Order: sequence, then C-alpha cells, then structure tokens
Amino acid sequence: MATSPDPVIVFLLLVLAGVALLSLALALRHRLAFRIAMRNVRRGGVRTAILVLGLLVGTTIICGSQVVGDTVNELSLHYTYIADGLNDESIYNASPNGSYTAFPYTVYAQLEANVSHAPYVAGLAPEYIGLTQVYDLTTSIPQTDLNLIGVNGNQSQQLGNFVTDSGQSISGPPPGQVLLDDQAASMLNASVGDHVRLYGPTPVTTTIGAIVHDDDRGGFLTAGLGIAGNAFVDLPTAQKLQDAPGLVNYISVTNTGSQKTGVGESDTVSAELNASLATIPGASGLKVNETLKGDLANAATSGSSVSTIFFVLGLFSIAAGALLIVGIFVMLAEERKGEMGMLRAVGLTRRELIYGFYFEGLAYSAGSALAGTALGVGVGYGLTYAFSQLLAGQGLTAAAVLGSFTFTQQTLVVSYVAGFLLTLVTVVAASWRASRLNIVRAIRDIPEPPHAVRTYTILAVLGAVLSVLGGLLFATTFQGTSSVSLPLIGGTMLILGVSLVGSRFLLNRWVFSAMGVGFLLWAGVGPLQQAVLGSAHTGGIEVVFVHGITMVTGALVLYIFNAPLVLRGVSALGGGKGKVSPVTRVALAYPSRQPTRTTVNLAIFSLVVFTLVAIATFGATVAANLENTVTDESGGYTFFGFSAAPIPDLPGMIQNNSSLNAYFSEAVPLITGGIYVNGSGFGSPLGDSVYAAPLGQGAASDFYTTNAFPFTATANGWSASQVMAELKANQTVALVDQSFAAATANVGGGAPSGGSHPSVDIGQAVEVRDPLTGNASRVTVIGILTEGVIPGIWLNPALAGRLGYHSETSYFLSVRAGVSASHAAQLAKAAFFPWGLVLFNFADLLSLSINTTLGFIALLQIFVGLGLAVGIAGMGILALRAVVERRREIGMLRASGFTQRMVLKSFFLEYSFITLLGIGIGTVLGLLIVYNLAHSPSAAASGVSTFAIPYWNLLLILLLSYGFAMAAVAVPSIKASRLPPAEAVRALE
Amino acid sequence: MEEEVVVRGEGVWKIYGSGETAVPALQGLDIQIRRGEMVAFMGPSGCGKTTFLNCFSGLDDITRGTVTLEGTNIHAMTDNEKSRYRAKRTGFVFQSYNLLPVLSAVENVEMPLLVAGVTGRESRQKATAILTDLGLGDRLHHRPSELSGGQQQRVSLARALVSRPAIVWADEPTGNLDEEGSKAVTALLRRLNRDYQQTIVVVTHDPEVAAACDRTVHMRDGKVQP
Repeated sequence: MATSPDPVIVFLLLVLAGVALLSLALALRHRLAFRIAMRNVRRGGVRTAILVLGLLVGTTIICGSQVVGDTVNELSLHYTYIADGLNDESIYNASPNGSYTAFPYTVYAQLEANVSHAPYVAGLAPEYIGLTQVYDLTTSIPQTDLNLIGVNGNQSQQLGNFVTDSGQSISGPPPGQVLLDDQAASMLNASVGDHVRLYGPTPVTTTIGAIVHDDDRGGFLTAGLGIAGNAFVDLPTAQKLQDAPGLVNYISVTNTGSQKTGVGESDTVSAELNASLATIPGASGLKVNETLKGDLANAATSGSSVSTIFFVLGLFSIAAGALLIVGIFVMLAEERKGEMGMLRAVGLTRRELIYGFYFEGLAYSAGSALAGTALGVGVGYGLTYAFSQLLAGQGLTAAAVLGSFTFTQQTLVVSYVAGFLLTLVTVVAASWRASRLNIVRAIRDIPEPPHAVRTYTILAVLGAVLSVLGGLLFATTFQGTSSVSLPLIGGTMLILGVSLVGSRFLLNRWVFSAMGVGFLLWAGVGPLQQAVLGSAHTGGIEVVFVHGITMVTGALVLYIFNAPLVLRGVSALGGGKGKVSPVTRVALAYPSRQPTRTTVNLAIFSLVVFTLVAIATFGATVAANLENTVTDESGGYTFFGFSAAPIPDLPGMIQNNSSLNAYFSEAVPLITGGIYVNGSGFGSPLGDSVYAAPLGQGAASDFYTTNAFPFTATANGWSASQVMAELKANQTVALVDQSFAAATANVGGGAPSGGSHPSVDIGQAVEVRDPLTGNASRVTVIGILTEGVIPGIWLNPALAGRLGYHSETSYFLSVRAGVSASHAAQLAKAAFFPWGLVLFNFADLLSLSINTTLGFIALLQIFVGLGLAVGIAGMGILALRAVVERRREIGMLRASGFTQRMVLKSFFLEYSFITLLGIGIGTVLGLLIVYNLAHSPSAAASGVSTFAIPYWNLLLILLLSYGFAMAAVAVPSIKASRLPPAEAVRALE
Repeated sequence: MEEEVVVRGEGVWKIYGSGETAVPALQGLDIQIRRGEMVAFMGPSGCGKTTFLNCFSGLDDITRGTVTLEGTNIHAMTDNEKSRYRAKRTGFVFQSYNLLPVLSAVENVEMPLLVAGVTGRESRQKATAILTDLGLGDRLHHRPSELSGGQQQRVSLARALVSRPAIVWADEPTGNLDEEGSKAVTALLRRLNRDYQQTIVVVTHDPEVAAACDRTVHMRDGKVQP
C-alpha cells in the first residue's frame, strides 16, 4: 500500500519549487544579469571555496542538530521496544511508593475469559513482579538488587520467547529453574547450571536454566541505577518466594499485530479492558496502562528535547553564519565597485544589479546548502559516535547507540530548504544593501553623507511602533509564569523603540550608547531582572539564546558608537610611553574606519565565543556544585539504603560486628512506607514515600541532631537544627523534599509521572494517609528540604507509628574517615544479605549523573565550536580582501620605511584586535549569563551556591579561537608583507 | 664637485621577464644627480621613467649595474636596510597620492617620522608645522577623502618632506591635478627645494614641471637621450 507523503516535506518542496520557478522567470527576463552572475560564480577558485565554506555552516548546524535528534529518537525507540517488548498494555495497582499491590489470580482468569474474543487482544499473561536477592552457590557471589519476574511460559506465549546467549529459543522459565539476563549473570559471574538461592519471605533454591538476552521478550530493561538485572522464574516459584500464594500483581497484555502495529490499537484495547475490569470482583484499584504507547511518546519527546538543545545553542552559530554571509556579500560588492559602476554606466539598473547578486547568491546557496546538509549528516555521525563512547556502560551499549544512528527524509529536506532559504534571504538583504552603494562615492572613498532628517523620522515612527508592541508584550507577560523570554523580548523591543525615537532628536552616539548599556543591564544584570520580573517565570534553553543575543548586541552597539575611545586606549597601550608605534597606528586605524566589516567579524566571534564560554562555565559550575550537592542531598551520610525485609537493630548489629564497626561510624534506621499526601491545589492525593527516624534505639545515631540536611525554606526563620528538633517533638508537623518547592514544582521537576508536581508553602497544612490502614492526620509543613534524591514526606516517628508505619526498611549509613566506601558497602551487603540490603553511595550516584551531564556539555561544546569555522572563514575573507584593497597603501608604507616584518605585524595586530575584542566580549558575557543563572532563585532552590570559572577550558577556547583566526589570516598577511613595493605603489584594483 | 653627487647610476639595466619575452625597461643607464638639485625626467609613455624612479630609489631591484645613494650601493642592502634607509633619507610623492585613507592628514604626514623612531609629540609638531607651511593648517584632522586632489597632493608632499630626506622622488606628482593645481604643486616643489635644500627627482611628462626644474633628462627606450 502506498504511504501518503509527509506534508512537511511536500510543503518544503513546494517552497523550493516556487523559488526555482521564480528564479527561472527572473533569469529569463534578466539574462544579462544572470550571465554576469554565472561568470562571477565561475571566476572563484579559493575564494569561492571559502565563500561556500562560510555559507554552509548554518545548514550544517541545522542538519547536525536534526540528525542528533533523529538518532536519539531512534535510540529511545530501540530501548523502548526492548524494555516493553510485546507488552502493549499493563494492568496493576501501584502503591503510593511505586510498588505493585497484589491481587487474586482469579481476577486475571476472569479478565482473560472476558476478553478472549476481543478482536485486538492477542493474549494476557499474569505476572508477579518484585525485588529479590540472589546468592550463587557455585561462585559464592551475592547480589542484592535484582528484579524478580514470575511468569509462566505457557501463559505468555504471546509475549514471545526468550533467546539464550547460545541462540536457543525458550518459551519461559521452566519450573525449578531461574533464567538470568546478561546483566544479572555478569554481576553474579553465573553460568548455566549454577545453583542459586533466591531470597524473599520464603527463600527458594533453584538452578540457572539459561542466560537470556534483554531483547523483545526479556523486557524490563534495567538501565536504572542500582538495579543489577532480572531474574525470571515461573509464577508458582515467585508466589512461593514472595509468600503470596494465589496472588499476582501485574498482567501483561499483548495486542494483535507486530510490536510496531499492535500499539495502534492501544486505546481500543484499554477501553475494553477497563470496561471488563469494572465487572470483576477484587479488581478494584486495578488500572490499565498504555505502556508501550506512553513510552514511545516519551521516547519521541526525549529525541525532540535533545534536538532542541543542540538547535537552540546552534542558533548562535547560525546567526554568526548569517552575519558572515552579509559580510561576504558586502565585501564582494565593494570589491566589484568598479565593475558595478561600469555596468551602471552602460545602462544596467539598480534592480538588475540586485538580480545579479541574487542569481550569484542563488548558486552559492543551492551548492552550500547541499554541502552543508551532507556535512551536517557527518557531524551528526561524529556526535553519535561521541555519545556512544560517553554513554557506553551507563545502561546503554556503544553498539546500540551507533546502530541507532539515523536521519529521516524530513531532516534532509528541512535542513536543505532551511539552510538554502536562510542563505538566500541573507544574500538578498546583503545584495539590496550593496546595490545602495553610491558608485561615485564608493570609488572615491568619500564618506556617506549623514542620513537625512527624513530617515530619522522614519526610524522614529518605526521606533514608536516597536515601543508600543514591546510595551504590550512586556505588560502582558511580566507577571505570571510564562517563559521569561517573553517579557525580556518585550523590554528589549521597548528599549530599541525608544532609542530609535530618540535618534530623531538627539545625537546618535549618546542615544545608541545608552541603548547598548540598556541591553546589557536588562539582559545581563540578574538582580535587576528578578526585581522587575520576580522569580515565578519559567523558561527553557531558548532563554539562553534570547539573553545571549540581547547582551551581545548591546555590547556591539556600545563598541560601534565608542570605537575611537576603545582604540585610543588600546593605542596608548600599544605605543608605550611617549613613543607612538607606527605599526599600532596603522593596525588600529582600519578597524575604526571600517566599522561595518569590523563589527560583522566582531559579532561573529562574540556570538560563538559567548556560547562556548557559557557552556564551558555551566559545566564547571555544575561540577563545582557537586560537592555541595552531595552534602545537600546526603545530609552528611555516605549511603542511603533499603532492605527487602526489616533488619532488626541494624545499628546494634554493626556495632557488634568488629569488621563492620571498623568501617561504619553511623547508622540510622528509618521507618518507611507508601503514603498519600493531599492539600490545597493538589487536585488528587499524591502517592509518595514517608520517612520517620525512630527515637531511642541503642546504637543508632540520633538522626535529629546528627543529620546535616539543609533547607530551602523553614517556618519562623528557624535554623535547620531547630526544624529538626521541632519534627522530633511535634506530631503535627512535617518536612517535604525539594520536589514540593514552588520553583521546582512549577517546571515539573521531580514529578513522579512526568506531570506537574504539586507545590506546598511553608505553614501549609496537608493531609497524610496510610493507604493500608486508612489512618490519616493533618500536618503543617515547617521545612522544605534542599535534597531531592530521596523524595517524600518526613513525619514525627510517633505520628508515623500512629498512622500504621512500623517497618524499618530504609537506612542512612556513614563510613569512618579514610576507609573505602565501596569496600564498606560490600561488607554491609554481605552481612545483611538475608534481608536484601541495597546501598546507594550518594557521591557515586550524583557523580554518575553529573559525569553524564558534563559529557553531554562537552559534546555541546564541540558542536557549538563548529561556529568557529564561521569566524575563521570571516577572518580569512577579511584578510584576503584587505590585501587586494590595500596594495597601494602597503606600497606606500614600504616606501615610507615599513619593513616586511612591520607590514606583517600590522596585519596581525589588526586582526588580533578584532579577534581578541570579540573573544573578550563573548567571554565576559558568557561568564555573566552563567553567573546570573547560578545566582537565580531556581538555582538556589536546587542547592547551587557556587559559580565556577573553568580557567583552563577558557584558556583553551581563547587559544583555539585566536590560533585558528590567526592561521586564517596568516597567508594573506604574509602575502601582503611580501608585496614588491614598486608594484604595490602603482597597483590598481 | 664629486662629493655633491647623491644619486649615481652606472650601467643600470632593468629587464622584465626572460628569454624571448624579456623586455629591457632600462638599458645601461648612467645618471648623476647632485645634492640640492631638482631634476625632471621626461619622455613618452613606456620609456622607462617610472622604472628608473623605482630602481634608483630602491623600491625595485635592478638586473645589472650599480646605483649609489649618498655613496651607498642601495642594491647591496638587505630589504630591511633599504626600508630603514627609505625611512630616514628619502621621501616619495606619487601621482595618486597614496595616502592612507584611514588616517587623517596629520597622521599620514607623521608616519615616516614614527617609522624612523621619532617620538609621537615631536612627530606631531613637525607634521603640523609642515602642513601649516603648505597651507593645510585648517585641514590637519581631515581624512584624505575629505580633501581635494590638490590638497591631497600637498599632504603627500608634506609626508615626503617632513623627515627632511636627502632625496625626494616624485612620480608624476601633477598627473591627477588640473592646471591650477598642477601649477601650485610645481611651485611648491620648487620652493621646498630651495627652502629645504633637498634633492628632488621628478618623473613627469608635464613640460611646465620640467621647466621649473634645474635640468631635464629626456628618456627613450630605457636610455637617456643625449
């Protein structure tokens, strides 16, 4: 069956066809302009190559980011299909803390009978899912944190077969045997035939029947932290192990059709199952979840999110690329002033000159967009390869990441058309500007006369319109929770509009200098923005772009209107006391007298370096806050742990075990369970975890006086110790984790199901209810913890007991100074193996997450660094043009006594000035944006308190940016210095 | 007198290209110019006037022969030595002025002084003085594009003379000027030659310029016509 074409592709191809037809019509009508343009394209050589290089960067960035998005999407889909297998829907009753509540097997049997003739249901499989610990009696290796999946092979044929390492197909776990997945087998160093003991309320000894792949059937992919793999047993074994005879806690549903087509009927099947469940006794609380459909949607979102991050940060390079195009075409126009004058003299109209540039630009755009798209695919592959190295071993395999490398037709078409149109539009704008050159003035290098009053009147009208629009945008968005970008753009438009109006009446220098300062203050001074906008606004990655563009524009405008001042300062530095260096004089004269091309190159370097510095500094700040984060999240403890069964007096057992006692200094047991929390604005009760530290246990440390958990907010301005003392003494108070804080909750952080997490305020009363006993109480929130790693609500231990919580299955542990935390963990896990103790090292947990973030940041830096190619191309073109343009001046300098070295120095100094100024602007503003971010309310709420400058990284950025720029100007500069003076003085362009 | 000769060329050949395409621009030129003399070199287009100026001033190399300026063989110098010599002992005036468009009049004029190592303050004083002397006291800070052709050529002259060079080389200094401007510049050259006692070598095909000089050398096909 023929598939219908993608409407996006069709639309873009139509746009392309429209441009082609329009261009053809114009070419036929303006043949002379077309012919001249084609000749100009062919006359290129090295210069055409540089031109195309400059032009293709934008397309490369667009395409590269899209390919990364496609690949991440494909990778997410790949793992989603593995993780969910043929499990299209799942039926379970999730308890507040996320575990599954058991229900009678008869519910499954009745449901199976009810839907046996349903058209889209292929089959149902009852399962018992939980956690277990396994001891390999052959290798003597214990492992405490495995998923236990009890399922009968004969009841789950529709889920497909397991595949062993030897390629054998097995329908399901045979009775008396356990199947381990690769990960679990590796952790246990297990082999087929090993005897193993599975632990639960009733331990079971069994044999490893096979080691199976985590593929479509293996399911339950365990990329999560701390989970060591899967152990599959038949249902009766699981029920025996968990002491749950006749009970299951999960029903897996497979739709008809393949894995990819079956999901299409998920809504219909869900409705049918829900209707059927409603009629079955004992099915209360069971819910049908469209597992595969939901996971596929999440996978698509993650691909899109990554693509967006790359694209938005790539926008700086795209903007730099657009500026380069403007620079190139303006310079081309200047270079061809004589020819243009001649063409005008023989009768070509101004419009035909524009068409000439348009046709030339059309050829460059078409070619460079094609090359840029191809290069973008290559860049996408390079980034995928880097991802594969970065993420390998963190639940993903390098082969899977590389195998997921892909790009869609839509990506290619969108990249090509977007790159082509971006280039063409910029070329047309630059051509229009070029055609406005007064040929006589241009040839004689007579300065353009000041703009007529009428021009300023038009600008003032434009400014008034901008002011009104900006004011409206600001007024409607400065309060509330919209993206902070909107009021920022509104304010920026207002400043720009007022400045344009002001330019009608006041001196340009003062008005636009004030505008530049205004932009810098508005986007660059965090406290000012917070004072005006408050801290309720949200924002994504686009905020960085909006802030960045505003600040860089402000800095450039400030420079343009105060260049002589800057140059005077630099000249004074370069000349030394009393003596003026002729090299410095000449080198700095050109940037100040050729503001357009200088500003274009400055802007390019500023934008690219800004992004590089911001990303590097962000990474360094994240790393620097690691220590703070570990302290904030851990409360000063080394481990957080939990056990499958309560460990009686864990602190006492540690104290009485000499080897454990040598390693552990503190142990705090915690009463733990699932709880419902409800309050004003919650909508429905929130399922969460509850924690309470019991009092008066002999060897246990006093949690309330020894923990070091900080708070984002406390009642009555209490200190952390006062809050803890209150919690210890008062049964009507509670603490909540960071996910309840307004700043975090509003952006959806910490949401248990991807939705928005309800927020609470200090002093707010909430109801807490134990779902098992039904006991409830109202408590007042007196503290919001900074930590978010252990989500939940903290209650007074007496209140917890009153509600029905008695089970001590969570623990904080601290190691003594100087001992190995990992060895301590091994000892504790071995000692408490029968209870299934699982320990998480806070530092490892956070550093793993932060290392992944830093790796991602490094990749972003490489990607954004591609923008440096724009700067390098810009510098190269600038220098090439300068050699041609200044031949006679170089000759005169040589006649005046300049040595070759002095000419060379003057060229290098000139481009060094532009490059270093651009790098300086980019660096300062890049640091500033991260500084503001690190000092924002949301950063404070997340426990970020340190702003770090990555000096070595910045030095590397400086050296690479400067080094590449100088390399680009080296050849033209050397060429300039070696011009024979006699030829140079008589040179005519 | 022998010691008064500041420019001496003996058997100077300049050949462009080689083999069958070789073009002799100067053919065994023998020239002597005395200190304080103002000499015009005339001849039809392509006779080798500009080549003579370039080769004798050290801007271009010669193929054979010797050129001595103030007793020193200019072509025995390295490129850097030639540059230093030009900075201190010679000045140039060109038909198209060759002012640096990004520098003001006074900045253009003080450039040779700065190259020669004179301090900024002294350079500025001397440049201002000579421009004022040439009637451009009110145009000191104007850029070349803001000056007329005659004014630009006067700036060019000021630049050539400001370091009090031993020899000033002028290549068609009036070529781009109208009649009035041409007369003014010629008179100026003559006055400067007298006032500052500088040797001025002018390549021109303007008879009025030649008439203002102490003597005229006629060239044809790269040779001096008797």
